Amino acid sequence: MSRALQRREDVAGYLFMLPSLIFFVGFVIIPMFICIFTSLTSSNMNDTAMFGSFVGLENFAKLFHDEVFQKGLINTFIIVLVSVPTVCAFSLWVASAIYKLNNVALSAFRCIFYLPVVTGSVAVTVVWRWMYDNYTGILNTLLSSVGLIEKNINWLGDPKTALGCIIVILFTTSVGQPIVLYVSALGNVDTTLIEAAEVDGATDMQVFWQVKWPQMMPTTLYILVITTINSFQCFALIQLLTQGGPNHATDTVMYYIYYTAFKLTEQAGHFGYANAMGVVLAIFIGLMSAVQFRLAKEK
Amino acid sequence: MKMKKIVAAALAMAMALSLAACGGQSGGQSGSGGGAGGASSSTPPAQSGSPTPSGASEITLWTYPIGDWGKEAEVKALTDAFTADTGIAVKVEYLDYTAGDDRVNTAITAEGTPDLIMEGPERLVANWGANGHLVDLSDLFDDEDIAQINEVNEGVMKACTHTSGAIYEYPLVMTAHCMAINKTAFEQADALQYLDLENHTWTTENFIKAVEAVYGEFGGTVGAVFCAGQGGDQGTRALVNNLYGGTFTNAEHTQYLWNDPNNVKALELLAGMDGIEFDPSLDGGKEITAFYQGILKMAFCWNIAQQLNPNSADTGAEKTISGEDIVFMSFPSETGKSQLCGGIWGFGIFDNGDQARIDASKQFIQWMCDSEHTADAVKTARYFAVRNTAGGADISKVWADDPIMGEYTKLMPYLGDYYQVTTGWAAARTEWWNMLQEVGTGSDIATVLAAHEAAANAAAG
Repeated sequence: MSRALQRREDVAGYLFMLPSLIFFVGFVIIPMFICIFTSLTSSNMNDTAMFGSFVGLENFAKLFHDEVFQKGLINTFIIVLVSVPTVCAFSLWVASAIYKLNNVALSAFRCIFYLPVVTGSVAVTVVWRWMYDNYTGILNTLLSSVGLIEKNINWLGDPKTALGCIIVILFTTSVGQPIVLYVSALGNVDTTLIEAAEVDGATDMQVFWQVKWPQMMPTTLYILVITTINSFQCFALIQLLTQGGPNHATDTVMYYIYYTAFKLTEQAGHFGYANAMGVVLAIFIGLMSAVQFRLAKEK
Repeated sequence: MKMKKIVAAALAMAMALSLAACGGQSGGQSGSGGGAGGASSSTPPAQSGSPTPSGASEITLWTYPIGDWGKEAEVKALTDAFTADTGIAVKVEYLDYTAGDDRVNTAITAEGTPDLIMEGPERLVANWGANGHLVDLSDLFDDEDIAQINEVNEGVMKACTHTSGAIYEYPLVMTAHCMAINKTAFEQADALQYLDLENHTWTTENFIKAVEAVYGEFGGTVGAVFCAGQGGDQGTRALVNNLYGGTFTNAEHTQYLWNDPNNVKALELLAGMDGIEFDPSLDGGKEITAFYQGILKMAFCWNIAQQLNPNSADTGAEKTISGEDIVFMSFPSETGKSQLCGGIWGFGIFDNGDQARIDASKQFIQWMCDSEHTADAVKTARYFAVRNTAGGADISKVWADDPIMGEYTKLMPYLGDYYQVTTGWAAARTEWWNMLQEVGTGSDIATVLAAHEAAANAAAG
């Protein structure tokens, strides 16, 4: 291909990319820089100027003394550390069990597991709220009817149970996509390698871990990264169910960012402070993702 | 190849244009509020023959659910009549108390505020007005207006006026927030003897006895000190402050003073009572629902609008879902004479820099709050008028034919200090319900109260 032709191909390619690039730059890159810059200012809702005054790293220093932020950070990590492995393990288990089924059954299972993903989070939350209800919830009714509890459990109102309840909901809404992806990945595993391993006397477990698992590693990496990011950014469930309570037991960094930015509007520099939290959260997400990439690469 | 480039260039152009369209509004249109998604509008065309407006032909109103001001059909009847009279169309968006503040705060940040907003002094005066987002409405009041409002309640104009002297809310209606009991359940538990049903009052001592009796009869949770969020938090504040005469702020509304031994005593009482639960899974709205369903036997978040239409369910006034009787009550206090939290609702105008729209908005306010149409606006709110005369018309008897409203006026003398205008209110009320959550988990009450009061005062500056 001549250089002129190559250049024309390149230009056409870039032009095709341009529409999404415009959106990416406009709605991701530029806001990202605005966020970083704002985190260094005392910006707030009532400033006439867009960015308030420059305060350097003051907002970041303040974070180290903010007990609610620290509690939110711990809760966020608990959610990530519990949710990510369980989602991956469960979806891998389900996918392994269903990927060999006939098309109709497979599609039915895909639909069932994907349903919570496509259902609006508000609808999902309302249903779970009914189930968790302290007075009339089905969970309490069920447990008391079989004699497991004497007094109703205030699932979302008790600091001991609230975060667990959130994680359970997050789990149900997160497993759909990984299951679909794993089913697809398992279906694409090279069968000749499996047959060869079986001929060589490999057990089912050996086939899975030595043959299938390495071939699914790119899918696993994608699932790990996406689930980690989603777990770090857990917000809607908190906002709709507990608003960070009780006693900050379900506060997450994402919710605290929202709360600081849009609820504490009378507080000086609340936009700057919220953005500082956003930057810290992004750093943690970036670090976790980098670690996951690194480990997957080594594997 | 050429075609590919053209297609790509066209796509890029379309994207760029759509991005540009997402950008800021032009100066002339700023503040129309039209950019807000999900707007439910009522914008009837001006009727032929109606007077031609001298300035803006359309204004926008955002309203919180203040009685039937949260219902499109009722509000549309009012705005249609206003449009017919003035030729100014009104585009209305209905906010709720869960996400309404976020909508307004986002609009302020994005310079997309509406022309008019309907709410109370804690938002209009203490927040948006104090921060320079609203227009001073002083020119809408003459001495006679102020005298008429003061005649009904002297606290109203004080609450609507900022410390700078600017008036950021033109008041339309007011009420006293109260609590309610399930009369049928109380009767069954032989607890009605502890209530003064004639005056709708009771003492702290009788409150304790009544809860004991109802708990003895039904078990479970008689009343819930709800603390999931700020919704309906006036109820828990009034309950705690009244039981032993505790305070919430100082008289000047410059400092929060809820770390009061009387409040500690009240919280200790509530935390130790069988039948009273601190419930962080409920806010005011959900507490009302649980009360309406008969699960709770008393509700601390109540007012006349609920008494007329419990849980907004349209299943009959003064009745639970199963037809049990509801009686509104003042909060218990040692003397039986409580200080009730008030609600004062009216209109504010966002300063969008367009004088024509500001003038049209002022015209709207006068039409609703100081004219022969005020009676309809008050009835739509389902609360009490802040004045007896409006635009020369007598509106003192607007509820004369309604026995429930008539009975409720017995609580109006107990309307207490409107402390919700204290600086840092948004942060302070968050501290309050977080404090209740901590009390509910068994933390030391005095320590928790002190810590959260300090945080509230820090926010107040």
